Amino acid sequence: MKMTSAVGWVMTLVVLLGLPAGSCSQTERTTGSGDVAKTLKAAADALGMARWSGLGGGELPEIDVVNRVDFRATGSTYGSDEEPALTTEYHCALSYNPPAMRVEMTRTVGTVSQHTIQTVRENYAWNESELGGGLEPGRGTATPDMAALKQRLLQLWILPYGVVKASSAAGDKTKVSKENGNTVISFPLTGELSGITVRATLDDKNLIAKVETQADNRSLSRMDLETQYSNYADLGEAPTEVLFPAHIVQKQGGHKVMDIQVKSVDISPYLVFPVPPNVRKEALRQSAVNK
Amino acid sequence: MSYSGFAVFFAMISALWWIPGMAVAQDFVAPSHPVTVRPAPTGPTPRTADGHPDLTGIWNGMGGNLMGVSNQLHNQGIAVESNTSTHDIHSGAKIEAWPATNRKPHNIVDDGHAATLLHRVGSNLPVYKPEYWEKVNELDLNSNQDDPSNNCVPFGVPRVGIPTYIAQLPTHVIFIYAGFGGGYRMIPIDGRKHTPLDDLDPTYDGEGIGHWEGDSLVVDTWGFIGDTWFDQLEDGGGGYFHTENMHVIERFHRDGNTLTWTATVEDPDVLLEPWTTTPRVETLNPDPKAVLPETLPCSERAFSHAVSKERH
Repeated sequence: MKMTSAVGWVMTLVVLLGLPAGSCSQTERTTGSGDVAKTLKAAADALGMARWSGLGGGELPEIDVVNRVDFRATGSTYGSDEEPALTTEYHCALSYNPPAMRVEMTRTVGTVSQHTIQTVRENYAWNESELGGGLEPGRGTATPDMAALKQRLLQLWILPYGVVKASSAAGDKTKVSKENGNTVISFPLTGELSGITVRATLDDKNLIAKVETQADNRSLSRMDLETQYSNYADLGEAPTEVLFPAHIVQKQGGHKVMDIQVKSVDISPYLVFPVPPNVRKEALRQSAVNK
Repeated sequence: MSYSGFAVFFAMISALWWIPGMAVAQDFVAPSHPVTVRPAPTGPTPRTADGHPDLTGIWNGMGGNLMGVSNQLHNQGIAVESNTSTHDIHSGAKIEAWPATNRKPHNIVDDGHAATLLHRVGSNLPVYKPEYWEKVNELDLNSNQDDPSNNCVPFGVPRVGIPTYIAQLPTHVIFIYAGFGGGYRMIPIDGRKHTPLDDLDPTYDGEGIGHWEGDSLVVDTWGFIGDTWFDQLEDGGGGYFHTENMHVIERFHRDGNTLTWTATVEDPDVLLEPWTTTPRVETLNPDPKAVLPETLPCSERAFSHAVSKERH
């Protein structure tokens, strides 16, 4: 029997048995643009991002209410397989408009502690010796770290809210498929993160359970991450019904690099990310050199 | 016939035909009302005898009521152009929006949470010095207790916002702020200079002196009491404290039936850089018989017993 005839027989059987085509195989089935919109809305609803109120007489559309987020966590970060886990205090402040993130970590092994503040905003990345270092005379320093720009921006866009925003922004390039019964959203990132594809797997409540990233260019393989999100809850001191994963596990190249339990989340607090003057200057200099 | 007119028409026909009217109404998709779009000016800009634009009038035409409630999102920096198009006025960044159809109904608690979040979506934040970032955050989080307006402290300038009524005289402009937290200001525009700061008794509204720059009225104000917040959040919060060294420059620009207002706040003691509000736009109340509502008496809000940080 020719292969085409075999496929034809299988299809005939599927039709006769009334089974959906997807249920007889584990292969990917891409859905249409209407399904993409519905899936993204469902993900936004599950997270509590799409909201409306009586403002404007209750006639306004639902609007994405998540712009700034501040969360604190504890757990472990890991170096290589040979190194012991580092007990980690993790404090992350982030913004999507403008795209920015400040991660403050205190990592301890034995009696030795290391404190770092790593910040990114749009096309600038730098390290702060203390919060807001380099912004005022006599208050700490800011050290440009442009090489870390992509890695830090990636962390912003693979958080659950970032996935919903970036996949919506990707428009027609965003695809939704069913894989092993799970809904998967796939989309390319843009700008500084061009060449990186994101795959986000939803759970049965439409919450983002896993986000995988893959860089087209193998020289950027350090951007290949897998991040698992679970135990979603409203973790705010002031209730908002915006959910955040209480447990985050991240792997890089299959190797676990972070495992943290989120303790508190503040949605849309006061957060600013001014770029220190010396960081702007250095970015300009590097840009001129690269031209 | 308007959409709402069609709805009424079909509902009546349905009732006559013994078809449940609600069934028809459920299929009818009500159009969203893009109330937060900046209005296009219409009509000429009237001028006074000295050639300046005449700002006189009641400026609450955009509001669904005399308090301008339906204009709140625009005032918080969010422009809603349509059911699916929303952007941040300050940065121009797109904000995802979904049509108001088929949304989940919610109760007053959900509504309050959503309103609190909606008020905080905008990107135009004053940049405080780093040593005050945590303080602003704490004040905002504890705004139930800490917001001065909850304890009947006047809003003060610039939180009081755009005047509800302006009377323009040759030597003064009179601003009236009707409603909660309001009051009045009498601003000289006769060319006088500020009283030296050291000679001023600080007040909530400060000493405002006006002058014209082209067709814009500029009101320069200093001499403030330091215990108000200068934010614009209508429902409280923000935590934008200032010192007695705050200096505020307001700009009023009339174009036809619209009035645009901005305020630039300088306070080098606590701010890293001057901050300018997102422009507020109001339209002239077209009703020649319109009058201002009575300002309600302030009653302190007893939030000290509140166990939740839920903001009100």
